[in-house]
Amino acid sequence: MTTRLRRLLGVASALTVGAVLLSGCGAGTAAAPAESSTPKPGGDLVFLIDSLGATWIPNNSAISSYQGQIWGNLTDKLVYVDAEGKLSPWIAESWDENADKTQFTLHLKDGVTFSDGTPLDAAAVVANIDIWAKGRPDQGINRIGLFPSANYVGAEAVDATTVKVSFSAPTLSFIPTLAYHGSILISPATLALPADQQADLTKDIGSGPFVVEKVAEGDSVVLKKRDDYNWGPQAVGHEGAAYLDTITYKQVAEPTLRTASVESGQAQVAYNASPQDLEALKEEGLTVETPRYLGFVNGYALNTSVAPFDDVKVRQAVQHGINRDEILSTVYTPDWHAAESLFQSTVPEATDHSADFAYDPDKAAALLDAAGWVKGSDGVRAKGGQKLSLTLYPNPYLQASQSVDELVDQQLTTLGFEVNLETYDVPTYGQKVIGNATIPANEITRSFVDVGTVAGVLTSQKKGDEDWFKLGTSDATLNDLSTKIATATDRDARAKVADDLQGYVLQQGYFVPLTQIVQRVYVQSPEVSGVSYNGLAYAYYLDAWLNG
Amino acid sequence: MLRTYGRFALRRTGQAIVVVLLAYLFTFVVISILPGDPVTSTLRNPDNGFTEDDIARIVAYYGLDQPWWVQLGSSLGRFLVGDLGVSLRSNLPVSTLVLDALGSTLSLAAVALLVAVVLAVVIAYGTQFLPQRFGQGVLRSLPSLFLSVPNFVIGLLLIHVFAFGLGLFSMIDTETPWGTFFAAVALGIPVSAQLAEVLIASLDHESRQEYVAVARSRGLRQGALFARHLVKPSSLPTVTVLALIVGELLGGALITEAIFGRVGIGTLVEQAVASQDLPVLQAVVSLAAIVFVVVNLLADLAYPLLDPRVSIGARGRTTTANPRDDPAPLLREEVSIV
Repeated sequence: MTTRLRRLLGVASALTVGAVLLSGCGAGTAAAPAESSTPKPGGDLVFLIDSLGATWIPNNSAISSYQGQIWGNLTDKLVYVDAEGKLSPWIAESWDENADKTQFTLHLKDGVTFSDGTPLDAAAVVANIDIWAKGRPDQGINRIGLFPSANYVGAEAVDATTVKVSFSAPTLSFIPTLAYHGSILISPATLALPADQQADLTKDIGSGPFVVEKVAEGDSVVLKKRDDYNWGPQAVGHEGAAYLDTITYKQVAEPTLRTASVESGQAQVAYNASPQDLEALKEEGLTVETPRYLGFVNGYALNTSVAPFDDVKVRQAVQHGINRDEILSTVYTPDWHAAESLFQSTVPEATDHSADFAYDPDKAAALLDAAGWVKGSDGVRAKGGQKLSLTLYPNPYLQASQSVDELVDQQLTTLGFEVNLETYDVPTYGQKVIGNATIPANEITRSFVDVGTVAGVLTSQKKGDEDWFKLGTSDATLNDLSTKIATATDRDARAKVADDLQGYVLQQGYFVPLTQIVQRVYVQSPEVSGVSYNGLAYAYYLDAWLNG
Repeated sequence: MLRTYGRFALRRTGQAIVVVLLAYLFTFVVISILPGDPVTSTLRNPDNGFTEDDIARIVAYYGLDQPWWVQLGSSLGRFLVGDLGVSLRSNLPVSTLVLDALGSTLSLAAVALLVAVVLAVVIAYGTQFLPQRFGQGVLRSLPSLFLSVPNFVIGLLLIHVFAFGLGLFSMIDTETPWGTFFAAVALGIPVSAQLAEVLIASLDHESRQEYVAVARSRGLRQGALFARHLVKPSSLPTVTVLALIVGELLGGALITEAIFGRVGIGTLVEQAVASQDLPVLQAVVSLAAIVFVVVNLLADLAYPLLDPRVSIGARGRTTTANPRDDPAPLLREEVSIV
């Protein structure tokens, strides 16, 4: 559906809701049941989701913000990452690493089985790590994007519960990657299937607390509890099987219908409501969860190879010319936070650099004056007959991106920029914006589980690097910092480099942070308790129950 | 007569096949002209972190790196032997996706058609026999009202009142009888408007005819007059519109299905268009072309049976026997395909 149609639907829906409420036929507000602290076994949870995404092939879909929800309850991972980026044991009970961080030994929990009864042993883990690292692209199966594939040498089963993994270079990011949403453990029998069979979710066997009961393609997925499950992550603190009997993921494309269904008691969770609606929903007694995920904040990566951003003063002017508080108060709710750095503040290595890009319109104007951009009679600055113009491309992967860009447009226009907005849908954006070296400001955010992976986006030192700021390898300081962070063998030393790196990138005006990203919003009936959100902000229902 | 009928049917069938193939070709060309493909656009999601090399290997697996004519050839070759291929988006067989969606859409469309016909007949009947002061004028303006309210507004209103307010059906399982009924009402209302307009116009025309005055003067009751004398001649143009409405139902189903959370041909098309999933689109476009052509063919064949004044010409055309006989409005003198 096009954005335009969606918007029309939204307006129409709001109108009808208004009409219905006025006519007195509206659904009564769900009375908040007394919060019970004793979990109640049983119950069926209905989770309304915007889309069930594209394919179910595990490697190709577990990273999706939609299917990732389902995979998270259907499968286990080797390592758990909590909302603060702290790693803890899961299927891997412990791990050792050599001094130069090229060899890792995973010690697996004994007695774990997939839902088809086969053991989740070292051989199964090797099969999984292999397919995460390499995929089978000739058969339509991707590798896992964030897996450190370039350095991957191989994995071997030492004995039934021990796996040794080798890399050709220091890879501190390996263990954190095992907690990543793409790194889900799937039965080797499933992994051996061709792509068109893996695309059938009923054939995808995991070891998680829930198993697939029913799939209606493009409509709904029903999961039911696995009674013999007893290997949840320690960090979640839940022993044994889940409380919920079933979870139904039902696709409802229209956001106001999702939230209205929760209001009327037909469902318990509505995913991805519009930020503007959240305050009203809270007032009606619903719970709103806005977990942040680990990664980069939302912001603009400025292209240093094109005017006007080839001048550090202009880049800094944009940093100081954007009023983030206004964005937070206009577009979002108090659940959103201002950016403090390049990274989300939940990333363990994130440090507060907000002074480097604090809102200061006078300073911004002075920087533009110093750079030689003079305001004309039309309010637009110019230099050498060239107008200070900038085109923004709202990121279609973020729902409020356009509203944010509209506000930034106003703020920069006041400063003397001539700002244009071009909005594209996902496929067109992929064609015209991603990878386009002439786009002056790329609105970007990215999840990662380990700060070591950030080196791959900052410069073009290695093949496949993204080179966000189009610096190539021209900035020796950044090259050096990137290399240090990518090849670090000690986490504490690396944290120091990460601090330097954040400071350097922000002082050079390469990146303009906006807000900390909340990409997954959950509107919940108050009867839902005990949901946990990991470092990727996915809802995990092992410990959840309904007290309605 | 029977032989002419046979030749007529054969000719129409041949044309139908050509139409379906042209629709297939047209879809292919249009989608091929568009930049990008579903595989690349999914892989290019920045969160994936794939290099162009990674993407190229996957794209090669789907044959999307081949020139368009090679892709068209293999696609057409598969289609002709009844293999609809594999969806680029979901990797599932297209035939499974289409068959799953078809049942839901057919039941929705059938109930919607029923709703539309009943509504149209009731409105049309009212315009003929309801006295002015009891709202005949209001009835006459209903069709334009129905046409001007978008069906997603009707749909959302129905959901808020009957699903959330009264709890007659649930958004979780919208394929229940009540769910289907209300979706069909949302879909059927705009469609009934067109039917009612045409039916009212024909009824107005027929009721001015002398035989009606004669029937009335002999004391025939309104209901009997409507059923025995007015309906049959007035239904001729209505059948024409009915055939065209099948297209309307398929198109309108998209929005209705999206709002009511049903998985049908409409939502399948929506997803396939959004992701440029060519194999799915081609299957659905061909299916739609087949349905449309068949329904129109049936309408053509029904014409002579409804009105003896319509006969089949030597070359298999339907024509009115006497054009000066003031045919009812919208009567197609020559029946064409699409």
